[in-house]
Amino acid sequence: MTTLTLIFVLPLLAAVALAFVPRNYRFVMRLVTLATTLLVALLAVTLFWRFNADDAGYRFVTTIPFLGAESLGIHCRLGVDGINVGLILMGAIVAFAAACVSWEIREREKEFYMLLLVMTGGILGAFASLDLFFFYFLHELALVPTFIMIGVWGRGENKNYATFKITLYLSLGALIALIGLIALYLQLPPNQRTFDIGEITNYFKANPMPDRAQRSIFALLLFGFGILVSLWPFHTWAPLGYGSAPTATAMLHAGVLKKFGLYGLIRVALPLLSQGARAPVIPPEAFAHFPLWLLPESIQSYLQSMGWFDLLALLCLGNILYCGFVALRQRDLNLLIGNSSVAHMGFVFLGIASLSLVGVTGAVVVMIAHGFLAALTFGLSGYLYQQTRTLDMTQMSGLLQRLPFIGAAMVMAMLAGCGLPGFANFVGEVMVFFGTWKSGLGAAQQLVAAAAWGGLIVGAVYMLRAVRNILHGPVAEKCESVTDANSWRRLPFVLLLAALFVFGFFPKVLTEKIRPGAALIVDMANGGNQGTPVKPPAGVNVVQTTTPSEVK
Amino acid sequence: MKLEFLPWLILFLPLLSAATITLFTQKNRELSARLSIGAIVLCFALSILFIAANGWEPLKKETLVTWLEVGDLQLDFGLRLDPLSLLMVLVVTGVGGAIHIFSWGYMREDRAFSRYFACLSLFTFSMLGVVLANNFLLMFIFWELVGVSSYLLIGHWFERASAADAAKKAFITNRLGDFGFMLGILIVWALGGGLNFSLIEDQLRQNPALFGSMTTAAGLLIFCGAVGKSAQFPLHVWLPDAMEGPTPVSALIHAATMVAAGVYLLCRVFFIFNTPALHVIAWVGGATALMAALMAVQQDDIKRILAYSTLSQLGYMVMAVGVASPTPAMYHLTTHAFFKALLFLGAGSVIHALHHEQDIWKMGALSKKMPMTFATFVVGAAALCGVPGFSGFFSKDEIIAAALNPRHGSLGLFLLAAGVAMLTTFYMSRLVLVAFFGPARSDDADQAQESPKVMTLPLLALAVPSALAGFFGIAQLYGKQLGEAHSSFQVLAMAASLGAVVFGLALAWGLYWRAEKDPLPEKIGPLARMLRNRFYFDELYEATVIKLHDTIAAIAEWFDQWIVAGLMVRGAHGTTELFGRALRLAQTGNLQTYAFLFVLGVAVVLYLVLGK
Repeated sequence: MTTLTLIFVLPLLAAVALAFVPRNYRFVMRLVTLATTLLVALLAVTLFWRFNADDAGYRFVTTIPFLGAESLGIHCRLGVDGINVGLILMGAIVAFAAACVSWEIREREKEFYMLLLVMTGGILGAFASLDLFFFYFLHELALVPTFIMIGVWGRGENKNYATFKITLYLSLGALIALIGLIALYLQLPPNQRTFDIGEITNYFKANPMPDRAQRSIFALLLFGFGILVSLWPFHTWAPLGYGSAPTATAMLHAGVLKKFGLYGLIRVALPLLSQGARAPVIPPEAFAHFPLWLLPESIQSYLQSMGWFDLLALLCLGNILYCGFVALRQRDLNLLIGNSSVAHMGFVFLGIASLSLVGVTGAVVVMIAHGFLAALTFGLSGYLYQQTRTLDMTQMSGLLQRLPFIGAAMVMAMLAGCGLPGFANFVGEVMVFFGTWKSGLGAAQQLVAAAAWGGLIVGAVYMLRAVRNILHGPVAEKCESVTDANSWRRLPFVLLLAALFVFGFFPKVLTEKIRPGAALIVDMANGGNQGTPVKPPAGVNVVQTTTPSEVK
Repeated sequence: MKLEFLPWLILFLPLLSAATITLFTQKNRELSARLSIGAIVLCFALSILFIAANGWEPLKKETLVTWLEVGDLQLDFGLRLDPLSLLMVLVVTGVGGAIHIFSWGYMREDRAFSRYFACLSLFTFSMLGVVLANNFLLMFIFWELVGVSSYLLIGHWFERASAADAAKKAFITNRLGDFGFMLGILIVWALGGGLNFSLIEDQLRQNPALFGSMTTAAGLLIFCGAVGKSAQFPLHVWLPDAMEGPTPVSALIHAATMVAAGVYLLCRVFFIFNTPALHVIAWVGGATALMAALMAVQQDDIKRILAYSTLSQLGYMVMAVGVASPTPAMYHLTTHAFFKALLFLGAGSVIHALHHEQDIWKMGALSKKMPMTFATFVVGAAALCGVPGFSGFFSKDEIIAAALNPRHGSLGLFLLAAGVAMLTTFYMSRLVLVAFFGPARSDDADQAQESPKVMTLPLLALAVPSALAGFFGIAQLYGKQLGEAHSSFQVLAMAASLGAVVFGLALAWGLYWRAEKDPLPEKIGPLARMLRNRFYFDELYEATVIKLHDTIAAIAEWFDQWIVAGLMVRGAHGTTELFGRALRLAQTGNLQTYAFLFVLGVAVVLYLVLGK
């Protein structure tokens, strides 16, 4: 078996094995989970290390023969390129960290660890999958345990409502995305139908999809995947869900699972559907019915030419600025972190909407960096909750005096969250800004970039307010008897911080691997299907792609 | 170029020391301090070695590795080696070294001694990075790191609410400035096709209209960064509060080096500014200089007086850049680093001796009890006021002369500069007369003793350049790169600055010689109150900017709860539930109802089938 297969299969096998461990063998269960996730993390590191990205294309491609259905064109094919190799590395490390912090679970441990392993295997498999069916199915496999874990092991009085809400939202998002994917599949001619992402890409490269189909499928994928990633205004499930989730679940979901939607957009929507997605969203007829002449000329023309990417850029301001402001008002630490994690997703959307190599590469870097960061912050807040039994920031104060290690790690996490250089997040965010600034989509994009950059100021305000409230100042009564983490409990945090530092100091390690894969996708997105990496302005592309559809 | 690895070593030694202390020697106080002090002193020695080997203008101006390269974004990690940066490296490591040693004595009893030195080393690394960076984005990176080390050091005593607040305020205010800075960088990159200083400079030389209509905007946005870091109006509010940090920190960061980074940035990218931008810069600097000098007149806290004085002097430097004279600006920056660090450390020595008393009206008669501190403090004050012969005299003189420069300066700026010089002498004389002369006004002052050698020796080390830096040829060195400062108004400027010193001293002597309490509030009434309250800027910002910010946040949260989550989510939820309830009505559990419905159904089906 290859490394990639092992990364995907090992956690699932371990989950099955756990089923046979007697309920009172707690130590064995923990050991199996830790050993499996550690092994997977090590395998992911070697995979990342061995991956060389001289040119675009998938590496380490393997097919698992027993899975899949030949007649339907479903094969369990795995492989990595620059886009997902980093995600797999991040996911595996976060999974190990999540397993480490699971010591807080004291009841029904067996089920918990089984679900944790299923989540890990599912999401890593989804990232590694080159087959649309498994790509989707494995994500669902990982998603369902989230709901169960919040419902059973969750905390707080809102637990049930949170479970209900997150299940509803994410199932809806997944459903819309599924409709989009099926519609995409049906665009293939009946005799060439396949689920293989590579083959689908090649087919549409040679025979572009009709413009209209591209546009509607893109919308389905954008909103389907968007809901999964808490795109504004479909974000309210996220803070609430993470606020009620057990620590390990919040770490894995916010860190890893949430990236699936973004990965789907980059992997499927961006290369195949970008041309159509640039066409105006609002049909010209609509302008006849609304008194738009009241608006200034520049806004009118902007609205008339606004494609899905422009709309996405606007929506991600909702994420970055609006959710930043909402975070400012939170009293509960987890709600604050949850809102800030929603805000960070805006940077990835912005990078995708920029349709430029710098922006998309930056988006992937942000995805990876944010995975580590979200896991780190949720892990730390979980530790604090363990110690103080509250996450109400008005009741916590002066914790840095009592918890030098956890407090310092929290300060670092907060600083990383407001985009401080030295952490990987900064690299990604800066690349997103640069990419957006120079993208071919016009002056409106620069305003969006400036506004998004303003979001980092808002970020600094709420992050530092949180530090000021809970870590600085005199020690609050409730925080008198807390104890700092011992070296074993420090391990996951040290690991995650180290990852943020390594990629923050040496971003080339990451970007050099991402670049070829991202370049291919951006080329296709910009209509370079003749093989030339040219980037003509948006209007020209629309004309090019509409012609074949009109001929038909 | 000989010894090419040396600049890299100089840059990374402090980082290495910071990392070692954080990871390994937290528990060992002495070793931590030794590591940190050793690193910076070694950096100083290595810088001298490098300059001795290569001269001030090395053959190769840059040494770099590619840090990030994607598409048309290429970011080098490169060091720029020219008189401007090399001299600044000497200042940062030299003045910084003295302050590191002073800290050993001053912070001796502190609980978090190791953390303090780790942060100090982190700061040194970041500051050296700002100085040596060869491109805009790399400078921005170190710029942010300088900001965060300042945050950590202001908040060193974070258990005190005031220190924690001050740290937060400093960081956020700096961030506001950096917002503009980054946008400026984006404009430069998009239109100039690169990030390296030398590249942009060459391009601009060949094509002055490179940025087209964006030239002024780019210049002013970059200037925003300097406004934040160098605490210029209207972002000046953080610097006085930053005095909550330990006094050596105030000396190093909030007087000598970090706050000067803004001025350094302006000089480094001087090629980018056009005339309208320079006008704005000159007047912002001038306004800051005047406003801060006025505020300093009515402060009672010894560190705050020095803080406002720093603001005022930074305003001077910025104004000098604005009148197209970067050489005097850098010259004044250098001398200011010496004498302001000296003054702060002197104040630290006083505060240490008086058990953390900072109110000058509770001091007095210290000239006899602390002779070494007193002597060096007077040297620093004389340099700051611009007494002839002392270093500040030469550098300030050039700025005042440059203000009359016909192309960029004006009579208004000249008068402003002279007025500020007079105010400077006035408030510094007030400080010296009240704190060191007259009767001892508290028990602590009565029993004060001279500080230990580890503190007085750094004072002495800084007093020498404070007095003599005018004769070292610093201006000529900067001039090599930034152009010689030449003005035909030297004599007029000298007369003005001499007059300012004499007049300010006479005024202060008349008011404060052996004074028991401050006579000014009675004489000028409400004006004194306004000065004391810093023209109510903090209150103004609290009521406008912060209020607005919080209101937006409140509205956003309301919208989130009631519109997005309320109407949309609960609405969808409610509709589903309504359907559920309606369907539930049909499920009565009553067999007769079911039977009835069944029969009804059969009847309907039969009708439909047979009725046709």
